[in-house]
Amino acid sequence: MPAVEVIGVVKRYDRVEALRGIDLTVNAGEKFALLGPNGAGKTTLFSILATLRTPTEGVARVLGRDVVAERDAVRRSLGIVFQEPAIEQRLSGRDNLLLMGLFYGLGTAAAKQRAAEILGQLGLTEAADRPARTLSGGQRRKLELARALVTNPGILFLDEATLGLDVDARRGFWAQVGTLAASGRTVFFTTHYMEEAEVADRIALIDRGRIVALDTPRALKARIGGGVIRLKTDDDAQARMWLADHALNAEAGTGEIMLVHSDPAAALPEILRHLPVRVQRVEIHEPSLEDVFLKLTGRGFGGDAAVPANGAGPRGPGAGGGA
Amino acid sequence: MIRGIYAVVVLDLKRFWLDRARLATGLLQPLLYLFVLGAGIGSSSRLGGGNYQQFIFAGVVGLSMLFTATFAAISIVFDRQIGFFKAVLVAPVPRAAIAIGKIVAGAVQAAAQGAIVLPFAPLAGVPLGVGEVIALLGAMMLASLTFSAIGVAFASQFKSVTVFPVVSNAVLLPMFFLSGALYPLQSAPLWIQVAAHFDPVAYAVDLMRGALTGQFFFLPWGLSLVVLALVITALAGVSIRVFNRGEDDSALGASKFSWHRR
Repeated sequence: MPAVEVIGVVKRYDRVEALRGIDLTVNAGEKFALLGPNGAGKTTLFSILATLRTPTEGVARVLGRDVVAERDAVRRSLGIVFQEPAIEQRLSGRDNLLLMGLFYGLGTAAAKQRAAEILGQLGLTEAADRPARTLSGGQRRKLELARALVTNPGILFLDEATLGLDVDARRGFWAQVGTLAASGRTVFFTTHYMEEAEVADRIALIDRGRIVALDTPRALKARIGGGVIRLKTDDDAQARMWLADHALNAEAGTGEIMLVHSDPAAALPEILRHLPVRVQRVEIHEPSLEDVFLKLTGRGFGGDAAVPANGAGPRGPGAGGGA
Repeated sequence: MIRGIYAVVVLDLKRFWLDRARLATGLLQPLLYLFVLGAGIGSSSRLGGGNYQQFIFAGVVGLSMLFTATFAAISIVFDRQIGFFKAVLVAPVPRAAIAIGKIVAGAVQAAAQGAIVLPFAPLAGVPLGVGEVIALLGAMMLASLTFSAIGVAFASQFKSVTVFPVVSNAVLLPMFFLSGALYPLQSAPLWIQVAAHFDPVAYAVDLMRGALTGQFFFLPWGLSLVVLALVITALAGVSIRVFNRGEDDSALGASKFSWHRR
């Protein structure tokens, strides 16, 4: 049985079509990332799977249960970490977990025991009795994770769960999630951070309410068909002409010159030797997920990733920004 | 359902306990009414000083409860925007349980705030026997549920807390003033007597006062019980309907807030 099944899901708000027909399947035990810019429909899809919104059309199932018709059963089987804090900051971590247990129908004694268990498991025991607001950002996020785990859910939903955390705290958080996934839980998450998406077994790229690609990170990047070369020269216009004359198609745009090549490491020395203008800077990088997104949608990612403005809009591959 | 209600009540009482200092500051208002306003007006009224304080005692306790219950209900507006309730909304708890839990939790807080005024009864010239206290506590239970249901029904309509003071002035104060808490309805102008019949606070205060003095404005007093029970049921129904409306837009009723950006 797949962990998540989405079939033809459409979501319309008054006039806006936030989701325009989403189909996807997440296998049990998989780490699955939903990646896309703001406004792509990530959060709407997430909310539907989390039973917070109902689809206008189509069917969504979590662990085989319909998110509308069997809402309570779905709710019982889910653990969710929201983008914004969903713990009572004035109460202690232990109290928060105890209360969550009560909300999930555990008795007081069972809820207490479960809270202590999870706090120990996530290394939060020492911080457990202080008001949540006095904890560090990383600890508070872990507490969110702990809250989501109160019901011992078979599937974990994370919505931009590490937004605003520093690199160390993010790493710690994902290490924790990795452990949980290793014990057989399905993890479904949305993210802005490319390197977070890379830990996924499969990634769905979503744009304007549609899935534009769904594959493993490696296979997605292979779609670029090579590596990316970036050049900065004394006279870019002349360099572009030269490249075009030699059947190397640079992407349109100003500033740096970018081109995709199947074997950039071999091609670059030749280019540098023969290019009739002086090269100031050169860079080769592996295609990033962002390059893939650009190739498929013709648009940048926005948000955290630095995408060079590219007025004409890239038609071909490799116009992307840094990894 | 029951477990959901219980969980909401535990949550709210835990939060209330963090603010327990408010119990003491909340005592100030009823004592001012009782021993300043009461003494001042009492000495110039036909009822006489001690008698007036005795008369308004139940009303002042009611006032304290009414405002405590309303204040507790404001937490709903905050809950919509931030914090723990996001997680509650995806728990397998019916929205009705959340509404009822909120009403019960608010009632407990209101009753507690009212109860701490009771030790001042002898100072106000109100003799408290065991029988009176039991009857009064019963009336207070019903009254606090009524006030809390009023507060939750209002709070469920609002997206922002900024309008709340306006509401409390436009709705709560008139209800309080019309209730006969500070003057006997029997001798009030006819229009006030008529209006009081549509004011649930009047029935609640009348029951509480009757429990102490044995004299009621609304007779038979059993009818007041029925009226308050109906009011509580109707208002709880309103709140449940509003909360349920939020089921499909990831909110708690009227508001469209929180984490979803389109």
